[in-house]
Amino acid sequence: MRGAAVRIENLTKIYPDGTRALNGVSFSVTPGEFLIIIGLSGSGKSTLMRCINRLVEPTSGKIFVDDVEVTALAPDELRRMRRQIGMIFQQFNLVKRSPVITNVLSGRLGYVPPAWSLYNYFPRDLREQAVAHLTTVGIPEKAHTRADQLSGGQQQRVGIARALMQDPKLILADEPVASLDPATSHSVLRYVEELNRRDGITVMCSLHFLSLARRYGTRLIALKAGEIAFEGLPSEIDEQRFKEIFGEEAVEVEIA
Amino acid sequence: MGPNTETPVPRAPEVPRPGAGALRVILWLIFLGVIYVYGWQVTQINLGELGRKAYLIRPLLRDLIRPDLVERRPRLQVADTGIGLDGATPPAPLQTGGSGRVTINPVTAKVGDPVSVAGEGFAPSRPAEVIWFDQSGVKVHLSKTSTDVSGRFQATVTVPNVIGTEHHVMVEVGLEGTTLGPSNALRLTLFRMVETVFLALMGTTMAVFLAVPLSFLGAKNLMARNPLGALIYYAVRTVFNIARSIEPLILATVFAVWVGIGPFAGVMALGIHSIASLGKLYSEQIESIDPGPIEAITATGASMLQVVRYAVVPQIVPPFIAFTIYRWDINVRMSTVIGFVGGGGIGFLLMQYINLLQWKQAATAVWAITLVVAAMDYFSAVVREKVV
Repeated sequence: MRGAAVRIENLTKIYPDGTRALNGVSFSVTPGEFLIIIGLSGSGKSTLMRCINRLVEPTSGKIFVDDVEVTALAPDELRRMRRQIGMIFQQFNLVKRSPVITNVLSGRLGYVPPAWSLYNYFPRDLREQAVAHLTTVGIPEKAHTRADQLSGGQQQRVGIARALMQDPKLILADEPVASLDPATSHSVLRYVEELNRRDGITVMCSLHFLSLARRYGTRLIALKAGEIAFEGLPSEIDEQRFKEIFGEEAVEVEIA
Repeated sequence: MGPNTETPVPRAPEVPRPGAGALRVILWLIFLGVIYVYGWQVTQINLGELGRKAYLIRPLLRDLIRPDLVERRPRLQVADTGIGLDGATPPAPLQTGGSGRVTINPVTAKVGDPVSVAGEGFAPSRPAEVIWFDQSGVKVHLSKTSTDVSGRFQATVTVPNVIGTEHHVMVEVGLEGTTLGPSNALRLTLFRMVETVFLALMGTTMAVFLAVPLSFLGAKNLMARNPLGALIYYAVRTVFNIARSIEPLILATVFAVWVGIGPFAGVMALGIHSIASLGKLYSEQIESIDPGPIEAITATGASMLQVVRYAVVPQIVPPFIAFTIYRWDINVRMSTVIGFVGGGGIGFLLMQYINLLQWKQAATAVWAITLVVAAMDYFSAVVREKVV
């Protein structure tokens, strides 16, 4: 499997209330990269992530995924594009009352005939694949547990398995560990890292801890008030530089 | 003093004068005292009456713990034989295996014909009754006679004015002693109780069909996105609130006048009230949907309908089921009261027994209500726990 290339040109998003969340952002991501987007709350990280699969409609600018202009796609084409882009969320966004296996299988909905969904039908090979993905993230025994019975870390691993079900070329991880404790954060990020290294899936991951960014990222972009404040290697940014960008208030919280 | 004559000086916090707080408390106490003294008088509270007139309630309470469940009925020896009318073949006897045997002559006849009935093998020297048992189960008493010392009897009857072709001639011979069986009150109570549970079920079901679509129109997160939607939202919510504020008891009175006394009036009363209460609960559930899963399923490339099926339905259907079962449970309880004003069901029967001062029979109904309500309560709790 080969990861996708992403190119973003002059992306701007202004919300109806006038908030300018992104202001002329441009950058590229090469296939197989583990790009970290770092920034404080409200810096536009979530908006940027959601513009790429158009959960949020950009106000202006262009987004290309493997040279396909996402921002120009018709609804049907957009759905086919979304199938190839897995997404992981801060709040996991699992359907809490449904069993884990259903949550994982729902990652495949873009590929299966819609009529199947009426009966919640998935063929055997897909169900086996779902269990295989759960094995990848280390919780095959939870397949038939209700999603809300799982711990936060386990729920996020279900989120990863759901994204894997899509056979993604690109994974968007929006603050995937912000709701987790430090140890669990590392175990979750290590699974994402493994997919990046083993399968070559391009990863775009937003974080607000510099230590995690330096540990997992191959490249780093810092967003500040909707604009790129830094772009480079994780090793090029240290605490001093971090404070220069975000101000003295932004205390970096160090995690083991 | 004009507003601008002096610059405002920050005032020191007011120090309460000593005694002012106490005076206020005393005035409040006097005010409350007056209210409660008047209330006591106007509601004619007289606790002494509870003790002095206890003798009036004693028989009622005594009967309450002695409900009318079983009754003794005369023991009967029964036998029958088939008779065909208008040339039809006589049907097989209904009862077989007893020692009594009935023969008739002729075995086919028509309305108004004389038929001679003979019996043997019955208890000797006991009263006997010849009964026409028609196709629909109605019994017509034809003739009274008695058996002789050898257990035989002979009678002649006339075919009554019945319709249908296959009938039975039945003989009941009264025996010594009595048998114990369920009382009439118990049987009526059971029948009316079943009616009550179904009354509540039909009312609830009717409400569900209207409340589900209305609840989407009454959900703020779906409707309040544009002015027209907001208007519909407020209209639906207002209708819910008005309908909910009308007591089912009043609705039942209205419907009893409209469609006549009976369970249908009760179904309508509970149905209208439940549309409003279920509609409000459903709407609030829709409003509290977590948008996260919707976002996540959309991001997988799922279609609109798949998003509804996988992200919305799992969030609203289990609570909808739980609310509905709870409403059914409430409606069973309410329908007993509704019966008092003509809404049918067990309440109507209970009111009749109370009006006739038949306390033991009333007790049967009261116990049945208690048991069924408790059972429904338990059942609905178990189901709700499972579903949510």
